[in-house]
Amino acid sequence: MNNDLLIVDDEKGIRKMLEITLADRGFSVHSAENGKQALQVFRKVRPSIVLTDIKMPDMDGIELLRRIKKEDKDVEVIMFTGQGDMGLAIQSLKNDATDFVTKPIDDEVLGIAIRRARERISMRRQIREYTENLEKLVDEKTRQLLEAERMAAIGETIAGLSHTIKNIAGGLRGGIFVLGQGIEQDDKQSLMDGWEMIQGNVDKIRRLSMDLLSYGKYAELHYRMEDPNLPAREVADLLQEQCRGAGITLQVKLSSRLERFYFDPEAIHRCLLNLVTNSVDACSAEGDDRKEKFITMESLPADGWGVEYRVQDTGIGMGEETLKRIFQSFFSTKGTMGSGIGLMMSKKIVDRHGGQIEVSSQTAVGTTFIIRLPRKTELDEEAAAEGRQTGSRRISKG
Amino acid sequence: MEKKKVLVVDDEIDMRIYISTVLKTSGFEPVTTREGGEAIRKAKEIRPDLVVLDVMMPGEGGAETYRELKQDPDLQNIPVILVSAVKKDSFLHYLRMLNARLLDPIPPPFTYLEKPVEPEDLAEAAKAALAT
Repeated sequence: MNNDLLIVDDEKGIRKMLEITLADRGFSVHSAENGKQALQVFRKVRPSIVLTDIKMPDMDGIELLRRIKKEDKDVEVIMFTGQGDMGLAIQSLKNDATDFVTKPIDDEVLGIAIRRARERISMRRQIREYTENLEKLVDEKTRQLLEAERMAAIGETIAGLSHTIKNIAGGLRGGIFVLGQGIEQDDKQSLMDGWEMIQGNVDKIRRLSMDLLSYGKYAELHYRMEDPNLPAREVADLLQEQCRGAGITLQVKLSSRLERFYFDPEAIHRCLLNLVTNSVDACSAEGDDRKEKFITMESLPADGWGVEYRVQDTGIGMGEETLKRIFQSFFSTKGTMGSGIGLMMSKKIVDRHGGQIEVSSQTAVGTTFIIRLPRKTELDEEAAAEGRQTGSRRISKG
Repeated sequence: MEKKKVLVVDDEIDMRIYISTVLKTSGFEPVTTREGGEAIRKAKEIRPDLVVLDVMMPGEGGAETYRELKQDPDLQNIPVILVSAVKKDSFLHYLRMLNARLLDPIPPPFTYLEKPVEPEDLAEAAKAALAT
């Protein structure tokens, strides 16, 4: 709050009298004889209090009040009214005047009006400070909450991980015991069983570490103009041998009618690899002795999309309850075989592309996953910036 | 003397091999099976002296299989060792909640072993269960 005060009155005598009285009270007093001049002075000195007569030629006090409030609603304006100008007084209060003082001006009444104006100014300042503090407090608390949420997410991640690792450690320990018995008893069967258990669990650790590595890797997409059949072809090449070994026929049907568009081929490679690997696991599940096992990976044109990938298998399938949870982190249908990371990560990658991932499945019949990617033909700035970094990442084979 | 028969119920082949090997080296005859429904049929068929059951299995779940074992008049006297990644307290709490709704309360298992299971602990538990 500054100490400047503006007096507006067309009567010179009144201006003079007020100038003296108010300067005496410690104000730095400015004065104007009409509305137009008052606005000029107001804009120059920005007083916190304005005292104005209501009845003035040209621009009257109420018009001046409106204009000042329009420029700065926090300025306190006190009106001088003549006897019997009650209507005008009320009108000025409606226009947010602080107070009105009836002429002839009584010194004490004026003093009260000015004190009220100053109180209102300091109250407003306090409220503003409180509000700012409150906002600061809210900001601070929000930050703390977000941090707590992040910590909770990390906690959950670690709990899920430690469960997975505990299971693998248990499996290794079991394998060592069985192998040890095989050596002690010179029992070929136990030797083989133990050896297989150890191999299997070492493989689980390898898979887990791969999953964890790629988990952080695709947080940012690296867009490239590419043929959508490329990642599908790579995944097919990678898994063909493994499928044959497991007695599964991997059919690959890639559409020749697809156009190139912008997507992250390495991230999509990872998604398709996850889906086909899951299919292989679903077809190789224990207790499933059906002779013919098929996995089909297709790429198709889809209306309004750049590509639709379909991965279909004749594996063990999933029930409704399972389907609801498959995209959650650390939920795995493979017992200790799965880390519960793969599908969650695939969904994240597809979501980041603005695409869709769908699943339908029937127990003992099979599962179909569908991924659709939008046909992005131009890179927006953000994607372009990410795209420039392309090439720094290699596709991991596995 | 004929070897005592132990039915091993676990959905994971690793665990079945491991538990069977421990039981075999302790001088018992393990018979393995994968999941719950099959476990009950198998138990009725071979009348084992002991059941070792994993309570974190898919399908109906090992806890459900345990309930069936304990409610079947032919099978309820066979001692059961539960093996699980679930904490013992959590399982006992589940059992209490279940019993609150049942007329005939289900007794707690003979022994409850948390995974990972040490071979010595399993062998000892099996011997103790079969000594009674």
